[in-house]
Amino acid sequence: MSGNISAEWGQLENDLAAAVAGREVYANGLCINTNIVEAKLDEGNIEEAESALRDGLSLNFEEARALLGRLEYQRGNVEAALRVFDGIDLQAAILRMQPSLAEKPPSKKGRSRTESLHAVSQHAASLVLEAIYLKARSLQKLGKVTEAAHECKSVLDAVEKIFYHGIPDVLVDYKLQDTVSRAVELLPELWKQAGCYPEAMSAYRRALLSQWNLDNDCCARIQKGFAVFLLYSGVEVSPPSLAVQIDGSYVPRNNLEEAILLFMILMRKFYLGKTQWDPSVIEHLTFALSLCSQTSVLAKQLEEVMPGFFQRVERWKSLALGYSGAGQEITALVLLRKSLHKHEKPDDLMSLLLAAKICSEDSLLAAEGVGYAQRAIINAQGVHKHLKGVGLRMLGLCLGKQAKVSSSDFERSRLQSEALKSLDAAVALEHDNSDLIFDLGVQYAEHRNLNAALRYARRYIDTTGGSVLKGWRLLALVLSAQQRYSEAQVVTDAALDETAKWEQGPLLRMKAKLKTSQSLHTEAIETYRYLLALVQAQRKSYGPLRSTPLTEDDKVNEYEVWHGLANLYSSLSHWNDAEICLGKARALIEYSAETLHRRGQVSEALAAYVNALLLEPSYVPCKILIGAVLSKMGSKMLPVARTLLSDALRIEPTNRMAWYHLALVHRDDGRIADAADCFQAASMLEESDPIESFSSII
Amino acid sequence: MSFDTTVDSATTTTTTEPTTPTPTSPHISWSDSFSEAQTAIKTLSTILPSIPPSLTSSDNPSSALLHDAETSAEISRLLRHPDSGAGGDHLCRWLYDTFQSAKPDLQLVVLRFLPLIAGLYLSRVPLRKPLAGFEAVLLAIYAHETVSRNGQAVTVTIPDLSHSSIYHETKLNTKNNATELNLTVISASLEPHGTVRSTRRARIVGVALELYYSKISQMPSESKIDFCEFCTLWAGQDGDAYKNGPDDEVVETGEAKENCEGENVGAKEGRIPLPWELLQPVLRILGHCLMGYKKNNELYEAACGACRSLYARSLHDINPKAILATRSLLRLVKMEANSEDKVDHTEIVMSNVINL
Repeated sequence: MSGNISAEWGQLENDLAAAVAGREVYANGLCINTNIVEAKLDEGNIEEAESALRDGLSLNFEEARALLGRLEYQRGNVEAALRVFDGIDLQAAILRMQPSLAEKPPSKKGRSRTESLHAVSQHAASLVLEAIYLKARSLQKLGKVTEAAHECKSVLDAVEKIFYHGIPDVLVDYKLQDTVSRAVELLPELWKQAGCYPEAMSAYRRALLSQWNLDNDCCARIQKGFAVFLLYSGVEVSPPSLAVQIDGSYVPRNNLEEAILLFMILMRKFYLGKTQWDPSVIEHLTFALSLCSQTSVLAKQLEEVMPGFFQRVERWKSLALGYSGAGQEITALVLLRKSLHKHEKPDDLMSLLLAAKICSEDSLLAAEGVGYAQRAIINAQGVHKHLKGVGLRMLGLCLGKQAKVSSSDFERSRLQSEALKSLDAAVALEHDNSDLIFDLGVQYAEHRNLNAALRYARRYIDTTGGSVLKGWRLLALVLSAQQRYSEAQVVTDAALDETAKWEQGPLLRMKAKLKTSQSLHTEAIETYRYLLALVQAQRKSYGPLRSTPLTEDDKVNEYEVWHGLANLYSSLSHWNDAEICLGKARALIEYSAETLHRRGQVSEALAAYVNALLLEPSYVPCKILIGAVLSKMGSKMLPVARTLLSDALRIEPTNRMAWYHLALVHRDDGRIADAADCFQAASMLEESDPIESFSSII
Repeated sequence: MSFDTTVDSATTTTTTEPTTPTPTSPHISWSDSFSEAQTAIKTLSTILPSIPPSLTSSDNPSSALLHDAETSAEISRLLRHPDSGAGGDHLCRWLYDTFQSAKPDLQLVVLRFLPLIAGLYLSRVPLRKPLAGFEAVLLAIYAHETVSRNGQAVTVTIPDLSHSSIYHETKLNTKNNATELNLTVISASLEPHGTVRSTRRARIVGVALELYYSKISQMPSESKIDFCEFCTLWAGQDGDAYKNGPDDEVVETGEAKENCEGENVGAKEGRIPLPWELLQPVLRILGHCLMGYKKNNELYEAACGACRSLYARSLHDINPKAILATRSLLRLVKMEANSEDKVDHTEIVMSNVINL
């Protein structure tokens, strides 16, 4: 204890003494105070200062000059330091050093001799290299960065010449290693300052790919600097050459890949405890991976982070964002449920909104989503008040989705009107939000308020400038529901003009259906043929890289097209053609409810329908058709038919065919008033029936 | 590659006297673009009210045109005119012709105005104004990129540390076939477009911005500031709530509360749809403006503002990818602001006792 303190005291006294008496230099077992030397330097008398050093410490010319330079540098006289360094021919000194060091092959016999030689030469090398390094630093401080970079580079070149087998781990002078490490770290910075980006890039690679015996922290700093440079500089230079490639190892091909690789390596160093945790690295990595849409990889990285670096709710939130961004919504929701638990952060607005959004996409989760959205609305206060509209929108979407699975009519209409109320409140806050306008259009359309739906569909096209396909489709569908087929046709044609061929599928399908509704059968068949060609071309050219511009809902599957054609042919009573189409469809997907349903001829119909229903218990068209077939089998079957049709209506209350057949059942059973009601419902719905279900565009 | 050499030669010639090009030197492309640039400047002088004489007499007219603040301001003023961008717009015609000259250093001049063109164009689309002039320039840039990429998609193979790589410390040749590397498309394949179809509009502008990003280190900061301003406009959200970073637990000050009263909180005019094909290049450019090497205070502030607005917007859209990207940028900005006087690891140890 006391020894420690006295040692510290001694150190402090030394420092004080140095401050009063000036600096001291130790060399060759000698020591001198630099006061006299510095005085001579101040007079501008370099030679005398030099000779004072040489005499006092028995140094040679270069050593004395190097020392003088360092003295000046340390005193902040960078220009003077430069003048001193300019007086030494450093390159010559390096040349002299090379043979004496490099040519000696390590032999067991002369080991002790070589070692001592190494020690001496390393000492000299250290002095010379430090001198060049300080020269580079001086130039940098004077703003001559390009020259500085050249000097700094010559340090590294010299090191490579002197130690052409790489710097030995042991037996190396720590001062020499310090200088080398600093030069390795400084060089890319200098090139960047000089605006020479390709040189900076190769300096970074040289730093990281050659053996400089850098310590972990220094290496990590360089790796981070390089990765940041790669990620943000916007300078694309050639990727690392294949020469450095080891068989089977991963070589990045562009800036982004190289940056991500380096950040991942840094992350691993953190959890191996090799370097200190640097929170900026995960943020850089997050940015890079989000740009690549690879947020699931990000989630994996976050999962690997040791506990203690992140607050757990923070980690869950980031993970949820990552998984949700990668389309793994349920995983995201599980994480959000944890972070929204009442003991964690139940009021976190972003988590609430994301949870509500995920729930709004699944009718079975919608009720849960309603809760999140309501909590979000309550918490959207103060500076977060701008998010209140988002909360209202989510509430509206969740309610609308919940309405679809509600068990009673009363419940359904209550939920639907609440959904609309909520969306209306949202649009009052965010009148420019195009997504919201679209949601309103769809909600109103599903509610069969076609005038309002039309208004929003038009507004959506206006605010998006017609840039979103689903906007055109909504408008055309609403028009078709109003039986304004020719206008719908005009909209579809306009949309086709605004769409690249590759993405025209859904529009062509609509066009074909529109033609069918207008009884333009030949044109409809023509359109279907065109669509079929497109779909088949798409299927053939779907490489892994092709699929991105088309999201799932923009694609038309071939199976659907065959079905449409089959429908068309069967309505024309071309049974053979219809059968062929169905055969094609069946070849694509065996045992689909739809195919079985279409193939159902009177004799086999029922069996086929039942099979279809077994495959997909909530397939409404089959329920209706079984109901229809049963209702023709005599009065005993009528109650069964009625149950099936009511069930179909529970799932799809706006299905006019179900109402129609239910009316027939009521009539045959003698309930004329009920039958009249149902007929009326069916005919009203027929007047507002779109050619495709509104939900097909969401 | 040829691009770099011409630019290098152009910058070197500013310091030395222009020499007569020898057939083998890269100066050829420079002297080629010299006459083209002079023609371009001559044409420009018929469109702008005045052209500074330094431009016409410059040894390197392309670079002078790119960096001349006065001319750029004049062009920007004309572009921002409410009736600009129509089919008969002379300036758009000039920009189109200049880009079509296929001289890389002249194309840079056109790209310098891309933020303005794209920004004005996308903001004016809902107004149903004639914009054929802007569209022509954008299509020319898109077509250039389509040709130079040969229509191919840009992909990224996401590294996986279980595969050894050039930066692994232990250079073990671990044969690892268990995990497949993740291939992801960051810019989809390009089809040629003769007109701007409205559903492809975002893509065309997005691709033009990708080209802008690839040349961004050569762009003057005014151009980038223009870009950041349009980002704020497009976001249509006020990001002021996130001035202290994205995670700040809000301290309710009276002032902040007052500002938030009123119905239309934070929403601003100019909001446009931001699909990922547009947002992704926007974020890359923004990343450069914030984290890129050369710092310019005005640009930095503009980029911070844009980033905050886009963060607010991504919350409104509940777009996880955009939230993650913008939130990370804002956190990085905050970290940078909080870390004062960093240790310079490249400085030598200054001690009063020097041991030789």
